[in-house]
Amino acid sequence: MTRNAFQNLSDEALLDYYHSTRNLRAFRQLYSRHKDSLYRYCAQMNFSAASTVLEQLWHSLLERPPELCGRLLRNWLFIRASQLLTQSATAADTEHNGEPGESPLAEAARMAPGESSALLAAMQQLPRIERNIVLLHMECRLPLATIADIERISLKKCRGLYQQGKDRLREILHGPERQPWQVEEVRL
Amino acid sequence: MSVCERDYQLAAAAMQSPHTLDERVLQQARSFRATRQKYPWVSKAASGCAAFAIAVLLIHPAQYLGALTPSGTSHPVTTSSEIKALASWQEYAGEALARTDPWFELRQTVKTGDHVALCSHWREQKRGTTAEKLPADLAQEARRHCRVLQLR
Repeated sequence: MTRNAFQNLSDEALLDYYHSTRNLRAFRQLYSRHKDSLYRYCAQMNFSAASTVLEQLWHSLLERPPELCGRLLRNWLFIRASQLLTQSATAADTEHNGEPGESPLAEAARMAPGESSALLAAMQQLPRIERNIVLLHMECRLPLATIADIERISLKKCRGLYQQGKDRLREILHGPERQPWQVEEVRL
Repeated sequence: MSVCERDYQLAAAAMQSPHTLDERVLQQARSFRATRQKYPWVSKAASGCAAFAIAVLLIHPAQYLGALTPSGTSHPVTTSSEIKALASWQEYAGEALARTDPWFELRQTVKTGDHVALCSHWREQKRGTTAEKLPADLAQEARRHCRVLQLR
């Protein structure tokens, strides 16, 4: 199979091919398709744990083909990444519980590449669940229903949180919504 | 795509997966060996043997026996040793021909211009007294030079 033929294969077909032949080029193609958006998601969720989580994720994919059960590989990757991120976050919380000082999340927020753009810096200021929902929908293009499944909340609540997160982003970036000068009606 | 999403895409495009992470993941991938190929006839051993056989066929010295030209000279025969060798070969060839050809002496006499023996042989053949026939070239020569006396 030539290099061109790999480009025409879908993710799932590539994964099948890789696990039947262990062809390194097939894996490289698969990796290069998803590495950037996965890294963006993980780094914005938890910058300090991003590389370990990604390594773990790819290692599990390399060791054993994931059971997709009809899902897209792309969705599987992001769902697994978010699971790993929450695991690492809880582990870090239990570690840092006794220590006084700043929480790892605040530290990560400071270290994350928010300096390059105001939008990314604003993203870091969102609370975790809103940031997760906004990122999963905008960066990873997962449908809101899948995100609701990941977060174990109802679709309605998820949609509300997404809207709320977008509003909050706009507020951080462009200031609060314009208010009328006089709230009370002037009576003569 | 809404404005918000497009802004986000533009801002996030600057973030890319770092090379060290890529290398670590690809290193992991390299640790899994490729499975055996389905086609045994393209295995390394087989193709190596084939390449070796072809090389032997191409550079085998027997390919080039007699392919070397003699040291090139414009005149065909120059040196005395070559002339001598040629002369000795002609002598040898003449002797060998005399030994194998039964019509050699007859041919020699014809070549010197003496047709008597040839014509007598020709007459005998025509009369049917001898079984052995003259070869084609001698028969042609005889037809040109000899008369056959008519029998009564």
